[in-house]
Amino acid sequence: MDPVSHHADGLRTWLLQRVSAVYLGLFLLYVLAHFWLNPRPDYEAWRAWVASPVVSITGAGFILALLIHGWVGVRDVTLDYIHHLGLRLVLLTLVAFLLIGCGLWVMRILIVISS
Amino acid sequence: MGAVTSIAHRVTGVVLFLTFPFLVYLLDLSLQDADGFNQATAWLQSTWLRLGSAVIAWSLFHHLFAGIRYLLIDIEAGVSLRQARASAWLVNVAGVTAAVLYLGWIL
Repeated sequence: MDPVSHHADGLRTWLLQRVSAVYLGLFLLYVLAHFWLNPRPDYEAWRAWVASPVVSITGAGFILALLIHGWVGVRDVTLDYIHHLGLRLVLLTLVAFLLIGCGLWVMRILIVISS
Repeated sequence: MGAVTSIAHRVTGVVLFLTFPFLVYLLDLSLQDADGFNQATAWLQSTWLRLGSAVIAWSLFHHLFAGIRYLLIDIEAGVSLRQARASAWLVNVAGVTAAVLYLGWIL
């Protein structure tokens, strides 16, 4: 990879981390405000809320932003503290599998309750 | 203070990453049926998970507040040493306060 594109890649990562952070923060505020206004929901109310189009679609967006944000963040921490290349590769592979696995799991939950 | 905020931002980020599968499991359980929902809420109210969820809540709030602080510093708001120290202190205190409020809310 030439230095110029490598630099561009670092800038894109930097930007992705911040854009995803803003989306995650806004969604969290929305969820917190909802529970503040509607505390202690019962099963029916909880399910109906999660299955509503607005929450399931913005929630899917939240998971996508979370995968990006979690990957960039955990990758940065790993690169700073784990210097053994083999171990780094193993850890980052596990991180990627865990993030993608959990992401697909949430997508499945959202599809099942919306159908 | 800034160093505490910064290290805690990393630690809480890793904590949130590690608890992600568990939270997804709780979400899945709570949405399966009324029994699953009751089981998930009963779990959250057990003593150990209550403490555990308070740690997760602290991690989330600290990470959120420290993240907002970094975004503001990115757009060059509050970059003087005095302001940066004050906002770091505010973030650390607000994170703990929000976690305590959360504990009060679930008790």
